[in-house]
Amino acid sequence: MSSYQISLIIQACISVISITGIFALTGLAGMFSLGQAAYMAIGSYTTFILANRLGIPFWFTAIIGIGFSALIAFIAALPTVRLRKDYFSLITIGLGQAIIALLITFSKVTNGAQGFTKIPKVKNLVWIALVITIIMVIIIRNLKYSRFGRMCIALKNDELAAKSFAINVYRLKITIYILASIIASISGILIGLQSRVLLPETFGWTASSEQEIFLFFGGTNSLTGAVVSAFSLKILPELLRNVTLFGQSMQEYRTILYCILIILVLNFRTAGLFGEYELNFNFLKKGFHKLKSKKSAKKNNGREDS
Amino acid sequence: MNLQLIFNGISLGAVYALIAVGFAIVFSILKFSNFAHGGMISACTYIAYFFQASFAKTPPLWVTIVVTSIAGLFIALILDTIGYRSVRRKNSPNIYYFVTSITFAILIEQILTVFFGKTSYGFPAMFEKKSFEVLGANISTLDFVILLISIAILIVLMLVIEKTKLGLAIRAVSIDSKTGRLMGINSGSVIIFTFALAGILAGISGTLLGMKYSVYPGLGGSMLVKGVIASTIGGLGSMSGAIIAALLLGVIEMLSVYNLGSSVTPVILFGIMLLFLFIRPQGISGKYAQDKV
Repeated sequence: MSSYQISLIIQACISVISITGIFALTGLAGMFSLGQAAYMAIGSYTTFILANRLGIPFWFTAIIGIGFSALIAFIAALPTVRLRKDYFSLITIGLGQAIIALLITFSKVTNGAQGFTKIPKVKNLVWIALVITIIMVIIIRNLKYSRFGRMCIALKNDELAAKSFAINVYRLKITIYILASIIASISGILIGLQSRVLLPETFGWTASSEQEIFLFFGGTNSLTGAVVSAFSLKILPELLRNVTLFGQSMQEYRTILYCILIILVLNFRTAGLFGEYELNFNFLKKGFHKLKSKKSAKKNNGREDS
Repeated sequence: MNLQLIFNGISLGAVYALIAVGFAIVFSILKFSNFAHGGMISACTYIAYFFQASFAKTPPLWVTIVVTSIAGLFIALILDTIGYRSVRRKNSPNIYYFVTSITFAILIEQILTVFFGKTSYGFPAMFEKKSFEVLGANISTLDFVILLISIAILIVLMLVIEKTKLGLAIRAVSIDSKTGRLMGINSGSVIIFTFALAGILAGISGTLLGMKYSVYPGLGGSMLVKGVIASTIGGLGSMSGAIIAALLLGVIEMLSVYNLGSSVTPVILFGIMLLFLFIRPQGISGKYAQDKV
């Protein structure tokens, strides 16, 4: 495979990883965040600046970076999750803006708008990305069917009813927010490893809202839908690279295309492309069982004959 | 020196107030944060710029404002028709309004970027005398005119909402749309009227912002964040609270930019918002949008 195709796969993997976090936050708990890109920025900047300053391998500082973004998420969540959900999404926007402003202000450390480039090179990044993606998808899939996930879904559908069933809504919201920010910081670190340059404006609120839009495109209740839409919407504009419209490459129109698709989906299929559908392997199991029973039946027949 | 800073802050805050009110009026009726407002502001700024640039002799300011407010009205109605109407008809949860409005915000910003580029345009100079002196403070004519227009618009808006029958209908629907319908208010048309009002406000604030700053696609989005902060501090959905908070925010921003520099100012505004929500989550007005059983 050419390096271009490999980088495409890595990008799609990053997109899928970040959407699993968004799925846990918005799809399960119904909290609409527009500042998840801020945690990507916190995770990746902390990791690579520490790795560069202290001279330790980046995978070690990555743990510190992820922990630090979890800490920030905890501090930001304490006052905000008590309030109505609208306040929560407004505050997350403010948080995103504040983090970007901080990155630009402390340009001595982060190199500001020029971008931080002292990032180590990693071999076989595509395998690392793929493995992390699969682990993340499995974790979130199991989370959805666990007790915790069912509590989150109850919280999303009716907060007051969930409270009356003795669910500690406040703690649940903080936990899921921290989880989502941890996943976001992992994908942020991968972005850093892939592009080998960190720019403050890549982590703006449009990056965060793009993920939310992907989620609604696939269907908020379906992890399968979220993964498929994150993967395909990331790859789709690359396929249209050579198509031109009004003298410009279709890639320029990428975001416009997304938006029109989303508006169409919201208008005509409000639940998202996949609705409630989840991919499962029950049909394989059933087929296997059928095969087994047939075999054993044959054996029995054979015995009777002899 | 200080007087000048405070005056500039009030003038900035008055524009923020226009944005915050346009944001709050939609929130009070439909209980969602209308991010498309930022996109509408950007679009109206471009319309204002190209309207002015298309004439050899710059047309008077009020003509531009009337044109952009009509343009804003039409944009708002178009967005309502292609996006919000289906959400309303299907009785979908509020979050779909929110997603639709964010999509519109990104869509408008991208259309402007693709067709007009990321370069910024500057409005032609409007006034012959750039500034004048009051009590030793150097006050720019532009800021003064912006302040006057904003105050005038805000007064007209408050009169419409407090004194007319339509305003009464808006207030009734904002408290409870179902009861409003039982009392013989056509809440569908009240909602459309509210969107139209928000569009007009976006048009006017777009023109004023374009004159004050330069014209670029992200202008509306970045200004909307300030309006959102003001609206949050003032109490979501409350118009008088939003105006007071916006004026305060303008002054704080000016002082912060002067004393600490412009790059750190967003952090300070965010900190103020977080602190305010910690101490007084219901906002200045004390109206607390809370979920009911």
